[in-house]
Amino acid sequence: MANILECRGISKSFGGVRALNKVDFFLRPGEVHALVGENGAGKSTLIRIISGALMPDQGEIYYQEQKTEITSPRLAQEIGISAVYQDPLVYPYLSVVENIFLGREIRNRRGNINWRQEEEKTRELFDWLGISPQFVHHLMGELSVGVQQLVLIAKALAYDARVIIFDEPTAILTEHEAEKLFEIIARLKERGVGIIYISHRLEEIFQIADWVTIMRDGQVVGDFPLSEVDRDKIVKLMAGRLLVEEIEHAGQKSREPVLVVKDLTEKGRFYQVSFEAYQGEILGFSGLVGSGRTDVAQAIFGVSKPDSGEIYYQGKKLELNSSEEAMRLGIAYLPEDRKTQGLFPILSTSYNITVTVLNRISNYLGIIDRNREREVAERRIKELAIRTPGLETQVFNLSGGNQQKVVLAKWLEVNPQVLILDEPTRGIDVATKAEVHRIIARLAEEGMAVIIISSELPEIIKLSDRVLVMHEGRITGVFEGEAITSENLIRAATGERMTGANFPKIEEGLP
Amino acid sequence: MNTWVRIVRRREFTVFILIVILSIIFAVSTDRFLSISNISNLLSQLAGVAIAAIGMTMVIITGGIDVSVGSTLGLACVVSGSLLMIQAPFLLVLLATLGTGLAVGLLNGVIVAYGRVPPIITTLGMMNMVRALVFQALGGRWISGIPPEVRTIGLGKWLQIPLAMWVAGALIVVFSYFLSYRPLGRSVYAVGNNPEAARVSGVNLKTTLLFVYGLTGALAGFAGLINVGRTGIVQTNNGMGFELDVIAAVVLGGTSILGGRGTIVGSLLGALLVAIIKNGMILLNIPALTEGVIIGALIIISVLIDLVRGRGVR
Repeated sequence: MANILECRGISKSFGGVRALNKVDFFLRPGEVHALVGENGAGKSTLIRIISGALMPDQGEIYYQEQKTEITSPRLAQEIGISAVYQDPLVYPYLSVVENIFLGREIRNRRGNINWRQEEEKTRELFDWLGISPQFVHHLMGELSVGVQQLVLIAKALAYDARVIIFDEPTAILTEHEAEKLFEIIARLKERGVGIIYISHRLEEIFQIADWVTIMRDGQVVGDFPLSEVDRDKIVKLMAGRLLVEEIEHAGQKSREPVLVVKDLTEKGRFYQVSFEAYQGEILGFSGLVGSGRTDVAQAIFGVSKPDSGEIYYQGKKLELNSSEEAMRLGIAYLPEDRKTQGLFPILSTSYNITVTVLNRISNYLGIIDRNREREVAERRIKELAIRTPGLETQVFNLSGGNQQKVVLAKWLEVNPQVLILDEPTRGIDVATKAEVHRIIARLAEEGMAVIIISSELPEIIKLSDRVLVMHEGRITGVFEGEAITSENLIRAATGERMTGANFPKIEEGLP
Repeated sequence: MNTWVRIVRRREFTVFILIVILSIIFAVSTDRFLSISNISNLLSQLAGVAIAAIGMTMVIITGGIDVSVGSTLGLACVVSGSLLMIQAPFLLVLLATLGTGLAVGLLNGVIVAYGRVPPIITTLGMMNMVRALVFQALGGRWISGIPPEVRTIGLGKWLQIPLAMWVAGALIVVFSYFLSYRPLGRSVYAVGNNPEAARVSGVNLKTTLLFVYGLTGALAGFAGLINVGRTGIVQTNNGMGFELDVIAAVVLGGTSILGGRGTIVGSLLGALLVAIIKNGMILLNIPALTEGVIIGALIIISVLIDLVRGRGVR
């Protein structure tokens, strides 16, 4: 049967960085086509182009054998290409019926909205999809994200979609909801709808997909019917041969761990997480976004309170009530989103560097000593090579990389024993990234216990002495030395239980 | 959920109950509250607030606010008062008044939609500029002595009910229908719920904003005409504090200050509640200062309730 969608030679660059390089992608009607790849492989760029949110720099799209320019998400929807995103675009205070039809109302001759007919149509769609009709009269915001997702599928069908894109649909669903979704996908298939299915859960792909396209570094590196591949082959292609120059650091791993985490559990976020961190060592935290890495870090930093389990710090049991307490004790955490959580963007560079030590740089009246502030800031600016026009420059004027260095500087000022870095180089240019990496290595050398959370495999592999991998709130792998390979990390991150990890037994009633 | 439970849980229902309770209290404690002249007086004062609240409801549903309606009413009073003094044809007076309000409202709309200036700032600035214009135009004098023959819109009655209230009722019906059944009406809700989703569904954000601010201005202008018709006087302070009554009516009536939901009928009930409180306090000889305290507190409390309950949804 002819392809319903063909992407030929699609290329797209963002500011000189190639996100997609001559990508070909073919979708047949009635096919579930899985799209897999590591973070940054180009999957989301590709689907954003298909769904009209981005225009390609080069290449052509043929839809139903016609060359088509998809210039907007609206046009995509009109011609039958709908996307169901992870974070659904909904109107929370409007009814389910309206969420389906808004912008495309069924009208009578005088142009008034025909609510009765819209409701009837909704019932029909719900009936076909096997969704309970009781939801028809609800407000969208009253429904769980799972049911909202089903409503969005109904919406796609109301637009008579021929292609539906699912972007990690099961990430937010319970197991039961996911099963329901798979049934619906099977029915859509029967109806001849072409489905593009993005997921990091390989077991799902083997359950529902017919075809798989594997992407890496903006290119298609594999395109097979599912019957011709196995898990191993997919993982190998996703991982590729990563060329990673490792950074050696001469840090002396302490004999006793400075941080011991035992069976830490916070329901709905992570379960029975146990590990140790040593001074002079860089411990990597790998896994997908949302696998619980950040949640664990925040629990250690006192931002959230775990339900059970213990944390020992410098041999003593740690019971934190706030992050200020953690800071005082010498635990520092650099959040992922430096703009909202790590910086005061409209304040000066020197203020941002010294904000954590205001006590130390103020005199006995509590008034800030400008000279001391300048001294501290200048020392750090030089040490970390922060490129700023001056001490008074507002930090939002600095480049992303230099902003991140400012955040680093401010935490170094408190001289922490344990430093947790969450995605320390996200959105930073390559040169500055390398600098930040060298700084991190040096900190370990100086005897700090560094924990680095990152979605980028090369970064983890390059820096870490030891790597923990999390998957859906659990540690699924622990690797050291030679065993830190992209392949191993991907396997563990996609849910395979690897040797070396201490696996607590799974209890019932988990998500 | 049961239909009855849904109705009872609505804000409109709570306000309705409050209206009934307060009416009973005032009817028992004063002998004038239920008199025909008092009710008629109450309704003719209510009409202006109820009419401006139609537009304000839509503005607040989009997630905005318009604090310039009082000044707009003031300016419309000057325009209509001047024209009525020279006994201009009523149609001309009406169009000029509506046009004045529409112009102010559209200016608000342009600044909000195209300049992306926050609505509170835009309309706060507009409020002061338009008020200054009113002072300039009147030059400290009053317009008074407008003949009763041309003041039918404010003085006229039909079946004992002020004409202005009939007009208000008709407008409420028309615009409620509009909000429920016309795509532009629904886009008002869409913009307030999720502007990004609205854009993707092809809703024109700018058109919608221009429409709601323009309409609010025009309706505030119309309220000015009624005001002149009722009192026969134009002063520089006409409409000062009017915005507070209108906004109180809307938020009391269940329109979320965060945008996305609300009904015009709710705002009418809110306006009625405000009018009854004001009226009852006068009848009970409670000092006028207390009125401000009560209306202000009601706004804050109803928004507070709204925010606490709103945390459940989404």
